[in-house]
Amino acid sequence: MATNPMHQFSVHKIGPEIKINGIDLSFTNASLFMLLSAIFILLFLLFGTKEKKIIPGKIQLISEILYNFIGKMINDTAGKKAKPYFPFIFSLFIFVLFCNMIGMLPYSFTVTSHIIVTLAFAMFIFIGVTILGFVIHGFKYLKIFVPSGVPIVLLPIIMIIEIISYLSRPISLSVRLFANMMAGHTMLKVFGGFVISLGLVAGWLPLTFSVALTGLEILVAFLQAYVFAILTCIYLNDALNLHH
Amino acid sequence: MTNPEDLETRLKIAKSKLQNKNTKDNGEKGIFLGNAFKLGTELVAAVVVGSIIGFILDNWFGTKPILIIIFFLFGSVAGILNVIKAAKRMQKNRD
Repeated sequence: MATNPMHQFSVHKIGPEIKINGIDLSFTNASLFMLLSAIFILLFLLFGTKEKKIIPGKIQLISEILYNFIGKMINDTAGKKAKPYFPFIFSLFIFVLFCNMIGMLPYSFTVTSHIIVTLAFAMFIFIGVTILGFVIHGFKYLKIFVPSGVPIVLLPIIMIIEIISYLSRPISLSVRLFANMMAGHTMLKVFGGFVISLGLVAGWLPLTFSVALTGLEILVAFLQAYVFAILTCIYLNDALNLHH
Repeated sequence: MTNPEDLETRLKIAKSKLQNKNTKDNGEKGIFLGNAFKLGTELVAAVVVGSIIGFILDNWFGTKPILIIIFFLFGSVAGILNVIKAAKRMQKNRD
């Protein structure tokens, strides 16, 4: 069981079974690690903003950098109109980041390596952005399916293609995060298993790889959170600033 | 003969320039890697969505293999369109 690289992704119940109307709402290890990330984020940001010094301490510095980073990203990709959505994108980014980073600790569970979690995020963003587009622009929002300068003969085909392209957004958003996290963690486990099975004789080589991959995985964990947030900004930009 | 104070300020300016350049480069490299991750799934997702739509429509109308083939092709086109759009966006950000 310990050598099975997929074992780390299994969800199991912690504590009693809770069932409401036949829906299983038991507390699992996935819920535990989501809760842990939320608590860590709260503590981190609380300590970061507790003493507002002019010369910031380490935690204050990191939280200020994060704030500026997201603020700049939203401003660059979605413009000034997206300012009210800063809290949403910031919490999204920091939650995905903390879930990914906590998943890098040994014996922990990576919440974002489950497609249902990432798909829930992505569908929430997708539906939210679509509703936002219709609220702001009304039925004019449908214009994003009709690019300008297309001959009328080609229009039906182009529209089908644009609709498929629009519908593929949540899939690509969720699959990217899920696949990267799952593949990385599986690979780490496989190389870890090689270290044990090859022993003292040749186990050093996979151990080196394992160390290098851990570094890469930390980079990927950050990058995927970043990509998730920046794509949300881009979709938000499409909904806010309709261009033809 | 330049005075030592002048040299010191010049050195400081040069060092700060170098530092700025380095940090900027590292940040950009990270963003490029992020973009690279983005492109791959962009292509696949549209094909998957197209095929699923084709499959559902086929089940509705009972025209088993025809619509799924057509929508698979539409999905592939949409995937390529997605990649072109993403690449254009990347190019625009660089300029």
